[in-house]
Amino acid sequence: MERRRTAWDFALMMATVALLVALGAQSLLGTLYAWWAYRNEPGWEATGYPAFVTVMNAIAAPLAVALVVVMGLCVPKRLFSRRALVAVSAVLVGVGVSVAAVEDSVQAGLTAYLALAALLQCAVVVLTLADAGGLAYMAEGRAAKVGSGLLHLGFVVFALTVVALQSSSAMLPAFVASALLLAGGSALSFYSRGSSSERSGTST
Amino acid sequence: MRATWACRPYTVRMTSPATISSELSALLAAVTVAGRPVAILVWAGVAAVALAIAVPSFRGWVRLASAVLLGALALGEAVLIWFHIRLGQVCLSVDPQTGRAAGAFAVPLWIESEKLYALALLLATVAVAARRHGEELRPLLAGGAALLAGAALAVGRPFSAPLPDFLAQYRGYLAAWASGDAAAAAQAFAGIEGSRRFFYNAWYMWVHPPLLFVSYVAFAASFAATVLMLVRKRSSYEQTAYRCARLGYLPLTAGMIIGMPWAIVAWRGEAWWWSGKVNMSLMMWALYTAYLHGRLYLRRPGMWRVAAALSVLAFAALVLTYLTTYLVPGVHSVA
Repeated sequence: MERRRTAWDFALMMATVALLVALGAQSLLGTLYAWWAYRNEPGWEATGYPAFVTVMNAIAAPLAVALVVVMGLCVPKRLFSRRALVAVSAVLVGVGVSVAAVEDSVQAGLTAYLALAALLQCAVVVLTLADAGGLAYMAEGRAAKVGSGLLHLGFVVFALTVVALQSSSAMLPAFVASALLLAGGSALSFYSRGSSSERSGTST
Repeated sequence: MRATWACRPYTVRMTSPATISSELSALLAAVTVAGRPVAILVWAGVAAVALAIAVPSFRGWVRLASAVLLGALALGEAVLIWFHIRLGQVCLSVDPQTGRAAGAFAVPLWIESEKLYALALLLATVAVAARRHGEELRPLLAGGAALLAGAALAVGRPFSAPLPDFLAQYRGYLAAWASGDAAAAAQAFAGIEGSRRFFYNAWYMWVHPPLLFVSYVAFAASFAATVLMLVRKRSSYEQTAYRCARLGYLPLTAGMIIGMPWAIVAWRGEAWWWSGKVNMSLMMWALYTAYLHGRLYLRRPGMWRVAAALSVLAFAALVLTYLTTYLVPGVHSVA
């Protein structure tokens, strides 16, 4: 059982790494194209840049959604068994897709999905702080677990801010909140453990 | 075209484009004179580090040479701090139409000609202070610091040609103000005031670049340790690389996120989303996140290779991110 859980965690981690590397490759190719366009197409910033942004957004969107889904799997895995996890994740994705269909807006669907993921992660952080049993962490030590929870919550809040709050007056406080969560989560997650446990890597 | 400036309660003075220009010229001459001996000291530090690294019998002197370089760079930084304080007192933003002073300039110490210098200072500090695997890492870190210091003096020229973009814009504003052309003066004032409020004096410029510079230096140390691990095949270097990377990841993440709300407000309507610098920064962050994630399963067969490859790739992305500012045009660049 433990072995299956480790294999599952490993698969999630590798999927995360692959998606991040793909996002990095897209950024590199985008930069190279922009460099080429600036040199070879006079006035490109005025004429070609909007289309470039549209294409980049279109390429990044599936990667970002996949990353959010992997994170969505990573968040509730602390609370649920694997079978329940798949069901909960399916429900989350289902709610997101339904909202997107009803509102006719991918942004609305993503917002709903991320808001639910943020709520779940808040519950995880509260339960971790309360030292409740049944939470699955790779990290050892309460501070590292809380740090891991805050780190994931920070990512979800950041994604939610980018997707839904860019034009809102809540934008700045939300960005600051995500920065504090990510910085605090990183600090607790990275620095609360002894050197012996460093050999196995970071805590998530 | 005279104005009374009363922004600081302790000094109320009459000012005009001519008096500001004259004081500015005197200040620039002073920083050039003060910087000349400092530059010689920094070059001496660079030479000392190069000798200590290149000559095997001098290897034991690398730390001392690094300290000499650090001392010279710190002395230069003190000169630059004085220069910036005086710059804030001399350069005012005055509305030519009303004669009302909008404020003074708080130009950060890590922009334009001083960027490489600030990085060299930070890396030299790490080269002197490094403890874990310090003896092995020091030649790489000190060599990097010496390279940056040399480039800062040869290319950046913070003492002989300081802040070229700021001074070009500010002198243009003074010229427009002195010309008597009301429309040109108003336009120049709008430009310089926008730069003052949204760039030079923006809280973001005092937080975002320093956080990124600290992360860059930590990542440089992480890269050096990864190189040692790959060359010497010793796993203990990997732990040092990880420690340095996690040290850099925190300010990198915070710095990037802090930059985003500022960009949304200050660059509204401009082409910044997916611009070269933003792209490369995203790539660097994604690769460091992937590295720290990949390291979770370091004990799995072959995973150390994946972690090492990600570490090297991420550092290459860092170098490209820095160079993108100068190579790829855009709102975030000087290319």
